Amino acid sequence: MSRKTQRIDRRAFLRLGAGALGAAALSPRTLLAAESDDEQKLYAEAKKEGKVVWWTSHYQLSAAEAVRDAFKAKYPGIDVEFIRQTAQVVFQRLSQNLKAGVKEVDVFASTDESHYLKLKSQNVLARYTPLGESNLPKVYRDVDPDKTYHTGAIALLIINYHPSVSAPPQKWTDLLDPKWQGQITLGHPGFSGFVGNWVVAMSDKYGWDYFTKLAKNKPKIGRSIFDTVTDIVSGERKVGAGAENASLESKAKGNPIDIKFPSDDSILCVSPVAILKDAPHPNAGRLFESFFYAKEYSEALAKTFNYPLRSDVPAPSGIPIEKVKYYRNKAERLDKGIPEAIEKWRETFGV
Amino acid sequence: MAEAVGSAKSAPSPSLRTRRLDLSAAVFGIAAAILVFMVVVPLAWIFVGSVHSDVDETLTLSNYVRAFTRSIYLTPIRNSLVLATAAAVVATFFGTVLSWAVSRTDMPGRNAIRMMVFAAFATPSFLGATAWIFLAAPNSGWLNKIWIAVTGAERGPLNIYSMEGAIFVIALYSFPYTFAFASSALELIPSDMERSAALLGARWPRITWRITLPLVRPAILAGALLSFLEAISEFGTPAFLLIPAGKQVITTQLYLFFQYPNRPNLAAAYAVPLLLVTAGLFLLQQRLLKRGRFTSVGGKGGVREPFRLGGWRWPLLGVCLIPTLCALVLPYAALLATSLTRAWGRGPVPGNLTIDWYKWALVENPAARAAIGHSLIYAAAAATIATVIALFTAYVAQRRLVPGARVLAFIAMAPFVVPGIILAIGFFSAYARPPLVLYGTAWMLIVAFATRFLPIAYSGSESALRSIDVELENAARTLGSTTLNTFARITFPLLRRSVVATWLTAFIPSLRELSSAVFLFTPSTAVITNIIFDLSDAGNFEPVSALGVLMMALTFALIALAYRLFGRTVLFSRARG
Repeated sequence: MSRKTQRIDRRAFLRLGAGALGAAALSPRTLLAAESDDEQKLYAEAKKEGKVVWWTSHYQLSAAEAVRDAFKAKYPGIDVEFIRQTAQVVFQRLSQNLKAGVKEVDVFASTDESHYLKLKSQNVLARYTPLGESNLPKVYRDVDPDKTYHTGAIALLIINYHPSVSAPPQKWTDLLDPKWQGQITLGHPGFSGFVGNWVVAMSDKYGWDYFTKLAKNKPKIGRSIFDTVTDIVSGERKVGAGAENASLESKAKGNPIDIKFPSDDSILCVSPVAILKDAPHPNAGRLFESFFYAKEYSEALAKTFNYPLRSDVPAPSGIPIEKVKYYRNKAERLDKGIPEAIEKWRETFGV
Repeated sequence: MAEAVGSAKSAPSPSLRTRRLDLSAAVFGIAAAILVFMVVVPLAWIFVGSVHSDVDETLTLSNYVRAFTRSIYLTPIRNSLVLATAAAVVATFFGTVLSWAVSRTDMPGRNAIRMMVFAAFATPSFLGATAWIFLAAPNSGWLNKIWIAVTGAERGPLNIYSMEGAIFVIALYSFPYTFAFASSALELIPSDMERSAALLGARWPRITWRITLPLVRPAILAGALLSFLEAISEFGTPAFLLIPAGKQVITTQLYLFFQYPNRPNLAAAYAVPLLLVTAGLFLLQQRLLKRGRFTSVGGKGGVREPFRLGGWRWPLLGVCLIPTLCALVLPYAALLATSLTRAWGRGPVPGNLTIDWYKWALVENPAARAAIGHSLIYAAAAATIATVIALFTAYVAQRRLVPGARVLAFIAMAPFVVPGIILAIGFFSAYARPPLVLYGTAWMLIVAFATRFLPIAYSGSESALRSIDVELENAARTLGSTTLNTFARITFPLLRRSVVATWLTAFIPSLRELSSAVFLFTPSTAVITNIIFDLSDAGNFEPVSALGVLMMALTFALIALAYRLFGRTVLFSRARG
């Protein structure tokens, strides 16, 4: 819908003198109109602040760049400064800042949902309902009923493999087959939120025993979940527990890699995004977070092979998320599960 | 500081002698205050942290108990010791052989070898580690693939993801320390003793073993210790090569303590004994240096003559080329090839070649472009600060100008034994809170870099000062010159070349510093290494290579410029004879 029609709608609406009708009577279209007005106001405020500082571990660097570019195209005059690092790294940096009282980051985007429970209990997240959150499919709305954090990205953890493998693993337990000895690549839960998510899911599904057996296959352990892609395209390893976005992006670049949705469930990671209470650019932060629910954001994600948040943007894998057989960890489970997983991982894999 | 020197110089009458003395004391007092700010405060924060609980900040020793009773924390310590010792041994071997060959023999290509050592010194080992992943990863490494193609073997012989691999890579880039120390010493000792031995019938191997090497033993030991400390502080290479091998070292373990769940005080406790050990080694080195102390450059000249090796010249050159090949030729070829490919997994073949990554780094990516600028500015500022402070401190300590001068020297050398990560932790604790908030500003990185490389600048200044006989200064003082005046008129001119060399030896590691930058940067103050590290952990090897190549091109361009402007510096100079 273009701005113009929205404005006409709004004018017509005002002409009817319907202001007194109250919120209950508002139609979806007029809601959008009001939203656009809010958006313009927010944009004007945000422009005064000039920039937004965003720390993310949600997706590959290329995706973060695409999001930045799309935002800057839609809202000229506001710069986006971002860093992309693994989840535990950005979280550690934020914790340090909070402890030191340094106010630097506006929008914090980790792949480890439990980080937000921690931050919320420390009372450092701003309560805010981003514009357009209603554009989300219902399952991703209201991840926090108190509105301190919201869904920022979704990703699937899958099996990735080198096309020279004639019979790729069909399910997670296939990775335990001794034929994959010296052929597997993994990330590290101590660095990557995605890997942490995967480890908790696997140990809840199959018990820690899964990892003691997996360790016998001598996997190569990197840091980020995206390291698995590097190992596979280089031929260093044949199969991995990876993320679908980076694998597909690499495949599109012409690299030898493919993905398999495991029959015993892909792992769905719903990665939240939040605005800090002490954000130095609060309005730019709000505008940026609201942008996550604009079509442009989902398009930037799809372009870089991530699942879009909105259902009106087609999934790059060709399979809409609701058609995928997935398993999702609960945030409360991750809260205890990830630190535990890191400790146990250490004992099982040595690093 | 220049102002203070100037005013002291223009002081008109000898009756002001006491005031001049006060002025020197004030200048040196400022140097002391800066040292406290740069070194003592951050380190003190580490000790304070180590005895406080991570949970409730109460006073406790439980961090120490926890850090040193669990095997998962003890194994990394053993790994670090193995890594650092082995790397130092290998580095010292190559450093000594090369420095001797270049400084004391008639081996062909001496100047080229010298340049190459300097190039290896300028190359950060994490970049070398990245390149060696392309070359010697067990399945995908190009050298292994060539081996398989040639011999028909099932597997290649190399595995860079191993302790041996990490030792190899770290040694490749730390041998220049021994080289620099040993060769500057070798160039300073006159060859009269060697010639006497030759007249008495000794041949060059015996002369080298019995006379030359013992003379420079302190320098070799100092270099070996520096290699050891570099290796034990190394973060990038173990993170790239040893984590995949399933091995943690102290620095990667510290990094993990800073991950979720965040335990900075436990990390501090874990770091403290390491600090004590490295400090102990440093004291040991000081003792050794004292025993072997000599002054061989005075007002009198000395003649240095190279050994004539005859047929041995070529095998020696062969040995000297090993580090060249492994530290430079192969890695740079690999980085360049990767940076020019669209997708490096497919190799540098037609259709896969592109210059897009350079365009990306220089034009399309504002963050990368800004980072290149930051790197240059911060490194230059840090090197300048470090050189100025180091020179003054070394002078004060060397000539015992104020009481407690040795304490100043100790403080200046202290960061030497502090791994970059630990220093960063201290800096963060000290300067990310009022009253002095540096975090988030460029100063955080500049001061951290300056502190981190202060010891290198200090060692350079100290050994340069040591080589100047105090009799020249005494002559000036006898004639009524003040301390500052003597320094400005006599000492500094004699040191000029060394100062430029010192500045470069602080600038180059600042430009490539990763381990402290990784904790202290913010998006608006990111340097090249931050961008490289961010990219590398998601396996974006093509842009990593392009940025690495750009960073090194910049470094080498600056070195070439310095070379043109200042002529032959200590590290570059040919053996004078």
